[in-house]
Amino acid sequence: MTKTKQNSVLEFFKQNLVLCGIVVLIIVTAIAEPKFLGAANLNNVLRQLGPLPFAALGMTFVIIAGFIDLSIVGIISLVGVITVGLIDPLGQGGALLVGILLGAFLGWLNGLVLTTCGAMTQAEVLFITYGMSSIYMALALIYTQSETLRLAKSEKSYSIFTTLGSKNLGIIPVVLILFIVILVLMHLFLRKTIWGRAISLLGGNKDAAYLVGFNVKSTMRLAYTINGLMSGLASIALLSRVTTATATSGTNYETNAILCVVVGGTTLKGGKGSVLRTMLGVVLITLLGNCMNMLGLSTYMQTVMRGTVLVVAIWLDNRKEL
Amino acid sequence: MNAKANVNKVWKVISKQKAVIAIIALMVMMLFSDTTFYTAYNWLDMLRSTAVLEIVAFGVTVAVICGGCDLSVGGTLCLGGILAVMMVNNGYPIWLAFVVALLSGAVVGFINGFLVVHQKTEPFIITLGMGMLLKGICQQLTDAHPLTCTSLDFMQIANKKFFGGIPSLVVYMLILFILFFCLLRFTSFGRNCYAIGGNYEVAKYSGIKVVPIKWTAFVISGVTATLAGVLLASRMNTGSSVYGDTTGMLVNCGVVIGGTSFAGGVGGIVESFIGLFVIQLLTNCMNQLGISGYAQTLCEGILIVLIIGADCFGRKLKRERV
Repeated sequence: MTKTKQNSVLEFFKQNLVLCGIVVLIIVTAIAEPKFLGAANLNNVLRQLGPLPFAALGMTFVIIAGFIDLSIVGIISLVGVITVGLIDPLGQGGALLVGILLGAFLGWLNGLVLTTCGAMTQAEVLFITYGMSSIYMALALIYTQSETLRLAKSEKSYSIFTTLGSKNLGIIPVVLILFIVILVLMHLFLRKTIWGRAISLLGGNKDAAYLVGFNVKSTMRLAYTINGLMSGLASIALLSRVTTATATSGTNYETNAILCVVVGGTTLKGGKGSVLRTMLGVVLITLLGNCMNMLGLSTYMQTVMRGTVLVVAIWLDNRKEL
Repeated sequence: MNAKANVNKVWKVISKQKAVIAIIALMVMMLFSDTTFYTAYNWLDMLRSTAVLEIVAFGVTVAVICGGCDLSVGGTLCLGGILAVMMVNNGYPIWLAFVVALLSGAVVGFINGFLVVHQKTEPFIITLGMGMLLKGICQQLTDAHPLTCTSLDFMQIANKKFFGGIPSLVVYMLILFILFFCLLRFTSFGRNCYAIGGNYEVAKYSGIKVVPIKWTAFVISGVTATLAGVLLASRMNTGSSVYGDTTGMLVNCGVVIGGTSFAGGVGGIVESFIGLFVIQLLTNCMNQLGISGYAQTLCEGILIVLIIGADCFGRKLKRERV
């Protein structure tokens, strides 16, 4: 009895090696730097959560469906600048709504392009979404002419954005509450609805999904639309936090989102995984960044660390399946 | 029926030679514009500007033919240039700088090969992560500042002119072109690469040492990327961590545009050369016509989506026929 228990503990460690590694690092930091657990720092960490969880949440759906999406860089950038530009003509509510819908539309467009060409392997998807990303980013550049758009310059009120970006409810930032609501909804969507199950099935076995009678193309488009919607929300969260939008503000979000999803334990091969695991990944990656700041590592070393974690996480994820 | 067969035949020719068709279309278009497009100076300049990317592409082609892919070349290129400049600035001889830089590329390629070939991970995302890691290392090495080289001899390497006016970079590119062409066409290594890319299992059971050969392909890709990096550093007289940001994606797209497929087993150096040249030609045409940089990014994105999309579409038709 104890032996099986031991085995299952060992098995858990084996399955979640990266996760455990980061947890150890966090504990070490907490011991080395007592300020790490101070209220000020924890508050700071909660704030840093901002846009990344949304992007990672959307990416989870695409990865569970067995694909990948590099275009969120372009989507986040384009939605951000368009939203700021629309505050004056449409008012803040309208701008917010159009921004989020634009994100969903761009995601849907990705799905449409991919299904039209019949892109099925990760390579094809990777390159086409990269191409889409440069198209979106170019549109953002043309729209802004490389200028930084500021919320403060708009003539109408932009209180929704400032509330999202800097207000707390108790100690919890408003944006985090919004995220948790969406997280629960998305979790239920993935687990309990037929469409959510279809996405999982598509990632598990495309041929089986087709033979069972699911519409593979529309399921694929659905996964990408959700990712676009979430990227739109991420863009709004980013805009609220920094109060400016540029045509390159989405840079690096794609690798960070993939990093969070993989560290959480969702496999890149598709079919398995959950949005709750991604949430765990996001928290750990954010804490990791905070730890490295506390320990005084340079930003460049942090990039090296993130890259290493990404490569090792994918490698170990791959070994699991063997 | 007959008409349909003809359409299929035409489609097949077009999809095989899409890069050549794009070149002809661009050249015809330029006939009607009053620019300096049709001058020897312009064409030599185009060849010189594209030389660095072409050299990277030669190595990547070998990896792609084996059924792999190397997105880390951007980071590798950067690393090679920075290491060479650092060595030369510290008073080491230039040949030693070359050796050290190429060795670093070999090490990166070796690690990529280990992860992709030995551990059987998906090459696309793992090399993307590797590129991010290398970028971080480059930034750490240079503190994200451009590193100017103090040696005139080092600068001369890529800025000389041979045979009364041919830029040395073009000469190096041609030498490497012939070298790689022979490697793939006339050696058993090259033939084995095609066999491995064509069908991994069959190649394995035919007695080809699949793992070492594919592994070597990744090392070659890393080494050529660093070689290109050193030449770029010599051309610019600086090593900087901003070089190679888009190289990985651009080169891999160019290779596919030429007709080397990610499925492996088809294509070659000539195809890759043409594929990369199309991108350069498009940029040159747009520069000549005075199109803004933003619109150029847009056109590049559209080109990538269209050509890789067409590649996928062709394979989809093939699948449906079977």
